[in-house]
Amino acid sequence: MADQTYFEDVSVGDAIPTLSVTVDETQMFFFSAATYNGHRIHYDKTWATEVEGYPNILVHGPLQAALLARAVTDWAGPDGRLVGYAIQNRASAFPGEELRFAGTITAKRDGNDDYGRGLVDLEIRGEKGEAEVLMPGTATVSLPRRG
Amino acid sequence: MKDSNDWKVGVSTQQSLIPPEAAKLIGTEQGQASGIVEKRQFQRWAAAVKDRNPLYFDAEFARAHGYRDVIAPPLYVQYVTLGVADLVTLRPDGTPGGQPGDIPLPACPRRMAGGENWQFYVPMYDGDVIAATRRVEDITEKSGRSGRFVLVTWLAAYRNADSVLVAEARSSMIARP
Repeated sequence: MADQTYFEDVSVGDAIPTLSVTVDETQMFFFSAATYNGHRIHYDKTWATEVEGYPNILVHGPLQAALLARAVTDWAGPDGRLVGYAIQNRASAFPGEELRFAGTITAKRDGNDDYGRGLVDLEIRGEKGEAEVLMPGTATVSLPRRG
Repeated sequence: MKDSNDWKVGVSTQQSLIPPEAAKLIGTEQGQASGIVEKRQFQRWAAAVKDRNPLYFDAEFARAHGYRDVIAPPLYVQYVTLGVADLVTLRPDGTPGGQPGDIPLPACPRRMAGGENWQFYVPMYDGDVIAATRRVEDITEKSGRSGRFVLVTWLAAYRNADSVLVAEARSSMIARP
């Protein structure tokens, strides 16, 4: 993550490195704790399956969103800034599944008030299995220019 | 499994999923909340995401990149103003009930996050006092592949102690029967 991405070095159509994560029950517990989230569908398997009809407990949407943002900020580097971030929760994810967080650059433009930087728009997505989209979205990142 | 005629049922023959006490909340502010950004709390959040970004953990590293200290992960802003749950009035699924932010939709007990759209303006540091305001933008009934649902959208603004806008978010929730 020490590598810096510069505005000049990216092109429309470029893919950012895909973050691959398999969330387990322990990580889910810590995320519920860190977000003060008592929702039983994230820890009570009997509730999730017998009352709500899911095949298992559900990975939190905000955890998926945080992982997708992590894929973007890891790529953007320490001098990059996440300035816009939008996602939709589209499908459920379960512990033990491999989740992939990916993005593609869709536009480059000048920042309007930040000399020496440029804005990059991305199409981003969380997905699993054979490209089943869990979480489509967009992000805008401010990147430094070289020199 | 699903009755293929479901979608043909006319809206006029169905009772709205949105009671008047919910509909009247559209356009209203849902109170104010404030909280203090705490380094250990946002680091616990980042650790739970397994996001070991040194900007969040290493003050020297953060200073070398133009910040005055470690910064909070941008998405963490939504948790800074969380209150204290009353475990007596929780809904059966463990989510808060009867709070100012609760939309009374008794016909739709199953709640899911819909989407969120964030703009981030300035970084947050340990000790920052964040004030959040949230307005109910809309509450509408919709029909999808898995039946009828209610979509609730909010607009939230987060400001620091200098009244500088830190972040704004439009978020939505899906409530199903």
